[in-house]
Amino acid sequence: MNPLSTRLDELLATAGDSAKGSHVIRAVDVKKIYKMGDSETHALRGVTLDVRRGEYMSIMGPSGSGKSTFFNMIGGLDKPTAGKVYIDQVDIAQLDPYELAWLRCRKVGYIFQMFNLIQVMSCIENVMLPMSFAGKDSEEARDRALEILEMVGLKERALHKPAEMSGGQQQRVAIARALANSPDILLADEPTGNLDLKTGEEIIELFRKLRDDLGVTIITATHDLKMLKASDRIVWIDDGRLARICTPAEANIQVEDVH
Amino acid sequence: MEQIGKQVRLPFRRAFQIALSGIRIRFGRSVVTVSGVVLGIAFLMSNLTGQLIKKSIAEERDQRNTVNLMLSLIKAEIGEVAGRQIAVSTFGQLSPVEQLLLTQLKATAIVRDGPEAGLRIVLGDQPQVPVTLASLTAGMSQSVVIDSLATRAYAAGDTAAPVRRELFFGKESEDQLAKEAQLAQTEKFRNWWIVTISLLVTVFGVANALLMSVTERFREIGTMKCLGALSSFIRRLFLIESSLIGLAGSIVGVIVGALLPLLAYGFAYRFALVFGTLSYGWLLVYAVAAAVTGTLLAVLAAIYPAWFASRMVPASALRSTV
Ligand SMILES: Nc1ncnc2c1ncn2[C@@H]1O[C@H](COP(=O)(O)OP(=O)(O)OP(=O)(O)O)[C@@H](O)[C@H]1O
Ligand SMILES: [Mg+2]
Repeated sequence: MNPLSTRLDELLATAGDSAKGSHVIRAVDVKKIYKMGDSETHALRGVTLDVRRGEYMSIMGPSGSGKSTFFNMIGGLDKPTAGKVYIDQVDIAQLDPYELAWLRCRKVGYIFQMFNLIQVMSCIENVMLPMSFAGKDSEEARDRALEILEMVGLKERALHKPAEMSGGQQQRVAIARALANSPDILLADEPTGNLDLKTGEEIIELFRKLRDDLGVTIITATHDLKMLKASDRIVWIDDGRLARICTPAEANIQVEDVH
Repeated sequence: MEQIGKQVRLPFRRAFQIALSGIRIRFGRSVVTVSGVVLGIAFLMSNLTGQLIKKSIAEERDQRNTVNLMLSLIKAEIGEVAGRQIAVSTFGQLSPVEQLLLTQLKATAIVRDGPEAGLRIVLGDQPQVPVTLASLTAGMSQSVVIDSLATRAYAAGDTAAPVRRELFFGKESEDQLAKEAQLAQTEKFRNWWIVTISLLVTVFGVANALLMSVTERFREIGTMKCLGALSSFIRRLFLIESSLIGLAGSIVGVIVGALLPLLAYGFAYRFALVFGTLSYGWLLVYAVAAAVTGTLLAVLAAIYPAWFASRMVPASALRSTV
């Protein structure tokens, strides 16, 4: 249907015989160095990680360990200094700007740590934005936006501007916006950071449903115990390195130790 | 959900609306940007209007001088014009000068045919007339015809009564004309030079303001790119914004730029003279041209900022805290 998606399929077909379909994201020795004048920050020092299709993965790590940086790399928002990122077996460094835009628009849904709602737009317009980038007819986009907003409990607030809403409400708008184009992959940077217990649980429930019913791959950075427990795997990042991968069951003791 | 129903938009309309609300939200900055355009276009427009007024006034003065020349020729033939009877024939269209002459004659002399008329004046642009010269002065005390058209041909006929035919105009000195044209040329060149400089200043001013508004909006632009906006959408956003700014600034600039010289010349001469002689058709043409110029220049000024904004890496924009 979309010429870009066919191009992605082509790239996918030529990507070789590596186990197609099992890994939706592969990061291979990803390094990121930020240069600020003379000083260099090694935000990522070589992270190799496979994310399975339909997996719910949590990423933990102290502040400044490189979680957001890692999200930017695997979401195609920034280029790694070294190493490769594959999404659906396609090396995203090979994509041209149109294909990258397509990927960001349709394939991946982002929930940013700072929400990054567009302040000059109402809540529903924020949610409709990715759909208009996807070329969706606005009537359809509006209906879908309302549907998603209802799902996150903000239907009555549809016409409010972000500035008129609480942190938690803004976070839910950000979640709604990430789901707008029904992405295959959901990258969520601290999606429950500003939510109360009940809303937080609802969001976890929503993520779980997305994974189970629609096979969405979910990667979240979080410190929320409940989120960790709901996930399939937990990944620790420390000082730009992958420190440990385990299941919640294995991690349970650790988590309890921390608290 | 009535209100939401009204929010249905096409992507272009969406870009338009985003640009518009961007202008509204950053109203203070937009006003500054707009006033840059206003200044440039007001300068351009006042220059054009000033030239137009000057030209109209000069034309009017020329006409009056010509009519005075004509009157002095008439005076030479018949003495004081006031209260005298003069016969006038018109063939074809009257030029503005001829109309003015006729009005002046009617105001002082008695314009009527008859034996008391001491003179016949022939006006109009018709090159061939179906009457003989002699028939024009038949029964008059003096057989003198003053003609406004040197090339006018009369019907051939009885030459029994000799008629003296005078002409209103000889030829103007060619030297004089060339000199005047040269002077006008220099003045025109100087004017355009100043206008060009002021328009360049406008372009750079608008470009600078737009660049600042790009940096202000780093985060917004980055977010849109993260959500899959093509660079072309971002460019379109800024081009729409700048054309709106250009249009608004141009309209205000045209109004200010037209009013200022009109008032200035109005006070310097007479308002009746300025507004009475002004060519409103040309004023409209100039206004449209100036408005189009302003809008185009604003779009031109937006090209670099738009390109700059569209080229940003999405992730880097996300971090900016402006
Ligand atoms: N654009 C940038 N320019 C310079 N340094 C950066 C940039 N982005 C991140 N860094 C640095 O890279 C390191 C990792 O940052 P990152 O935002 O990935 O941490 P994080 O794990 O998400 O932290 P937090 O839990 O606080 O969100 C930090 O030391 C940060 O200062
Ligand atoms: Mg972070």
